Amino acid sequence: MSEKLITFENLAIGYENHAVMSGISLSIARSSFTAILGANGSGKSTLLKTLLGIQPPIAGKILCPGQAVFGYVPQSVELDTLYPLTGFDVALMGVYGRIRPGGLVSWQERNFVHECLRATAADQFSRKKFSQLSGGQKQRVLIARALATRPDILVLDEPTAGVDVAATHALLEFISQIHQERKLTILLVTHDLPLVRKHAEQVIWLHEGKILHGTVAELLTPQRMAEIFEIEL
Amino acid sequence: METLRQILSPDFLLRNSVYTSVMVGFICPLVGVYLVLRRLVFMGVALPQISSTGVAVALSLPLWFGINVTEHGAHSEHLLAFVGSTVFSLIAILVLAFMERRGRGLPEGRLGTAYVVAAALSILLLSKNRFGEAGWLDLLKGEVITISNFDLTLTAVALALVLAVLGIFHKELLLVSFDRALAVTLRKKVVLWDAVMYLLIGFTVSIAVLSVGPLIAFGFLLIPVLTVRLFARNMRQFTITASLVGGVASFLGFLAAYQWDLPVGPTDVVLLGIIFAAVWIGHGLVKIFKKERRET
Repeated sequence: MSEKLITFENLAIGYENHAVMSGISLSIARSSFTAILGANGSGKSTLLKTLLGIQPPIAGKILCPGQAVFGYVPQSVELDTLYPLTGFDVALMGVYGRIRPGGLVSWQERNFVHECLRATAADQFSRKKFSQLSGGQKQRVLIARALATRPDILVLDEPTAGVDVAATHALLEFISQIHQERKLTILLVTHDLPLVRKHAEQVIWLHEGKILHGTVAELLTPQRMAEIFEIEL
Repeated sequence: METLRQILSPDFLLRNSVYTSVMVGFICPLVGVYLVLRRLVFMGVALPQISSTGVAVALSLPLWFGINVTEHGAHSEHLLAFVGSTVFSLIAILVLAFMERRGRGLPEGRLGTAYVVAAALSILLLSKNRFGEAGWLDLLKGEVITISNFDLTLTAVALALVLAVLGIFHKELLLVSFDRALAVTLRKKVVLWDAVMYLLIGFTVSIAVLSVGPLIAFGFLLIPVLTVRLFARNMRQFTITASLVGGVASFLGFLAAYQWDLPVGPTDVVLLGIIFAAVWIGHGLVKIFKKERRET
C-alpha cells in the first residue's frame, strides 16, 4: 500500500448538523487517482467541501499534512459571470495563496501562470473574458488555476459538467497525463462511469448513506454493481 | 466658459463643495464595484439612506438630552454627524450582510423596508431639530451645502484611506468576492476580508452621505459601475473607468447645476442617468452592427 496522504476518521458530513453521511473512515494514498461516484444528493460535493475546509465536518476528523496544498477545480457554473475577469485573471488567483496580504504578484509568478495556461492548452484564449469562454475552455482555465497553486492534491468537482463529449475526453486525458507526469494525487467527482473505468485507480462510491471504497477492478464489475444497486443480472 | 472659470477660481465660495463632490465621484464607484459584483445593489440603495438616519439621530441626541453642541467647538456638530452616520452604516451593513448570508426570508423586502423607513425617519427627526435649519435637511434632500476646510480635509483623509485599502488589498477583496471556496482552500482569512469589505462600504457610504447627501452617494456608488460594466473587458479597466466616469460626471454636474441654477444632487444623478442611457444604447448598437457584419 502506498503512503497515506488523507485519512477520514469516523467522519460525518452535512449541513447545519443534518448529516448527509456519517461513519466515513478511509484513506487516500499519495499519487493516487480516486474517483468519487454517487447519485445527485448523495454527498459527493459535500465530502469534497468538507475535505477542502469550505464547510466543517459534523463529527470525526480529517488527517492531512498541514502543509498540503489543494488545487481546487470547481464547476465553472459556480462562478459568477458578472465579473469582468479574463481567463488569465482567473488563473492568476491560483498564486494568491503564496503572496502575503497586500503583496504584489511577481513576474516569475505571472510567467508561471502563463506556463500553467500553456500546459492546459488555455493560453490562446486566456485574454478573453472568462464569462464568454465555452464550458471546456473555462474548465481548462480552472485546471490551470489549480496547477498554479502548485498543489499536492488536485480536487475536481464534476469538471466535465456542461462540457461536450470531445472536450470531456480531452480534459480527462489531460488530467490523466498530469497525474502520471507530476505524480499528483487526484480526487475527481463525476457521474461518468466509462471515464472512471478508463482513468481512475480507486473509487469512493456514495450510495444511500453508505460509502464503498476500493479499486476500479473491485467495485466497477457488473456483479458488484448489481449488488450495490440491488438488482438482478 | 465663464462658469467654468468661476468654479475653478480659488475665491469661489463653493470650491470646497466642488472638491468634495469630485472626490466622492471618483472614490464611490471604486467601492460600488464590489456592491454590484457581489449583487448587493439594493444594499447600495438602502445604506446611504440608513446612514443619513444616523446623521439625523446623532444631531437629535443633544436636543433630547438638552446639550448645546456648539459649546464643544466649531466642528463638534459635524463630528457628531460623522459618528452617527458611520455607526449606523456599519451596523446596518453588518446586520444586512449577515442576514443575506443566512439566505432566509426576502432580502429585497428587508432592504426596501429599511430604505423607506430610514428616509422617513431622517426627515421627521431633522424637521423637529433646530440643526435641520442649518443645512442638514437640505443635504439629505440632495443639495450640496457649503463645506468648511476642516470638513474637506476630513473627507479627503477618509477617502484617501479607503483608496489605500482598496488599492493595497484588491487581490484579497477580489478573491473572496469572486471565489470564496478558492479563498478558503488557499487558507485566506475569508471572514476577515469580508469584514474589511463591509467596513469599507459602510465607511465610504457614511463619508459620502455626510459630504454630498444620500441621493448623490447612491448615484455615484452604483450608476458609474453599472454603466462601465456594459463594456469593461477586465477588472482594471472596469474600476478605473467607473471611477473616471464618477469623477468627471460629478464635476460636469456641478458645472451644469451652477450654470442653470439647479440643485446639485439631482443634476449629478440625472447626468449619470443620461450617461448610462447613452452608453447602453451605444453598446446595443455596436452589438447589432457587429452581428450584421458577422452575418454578411
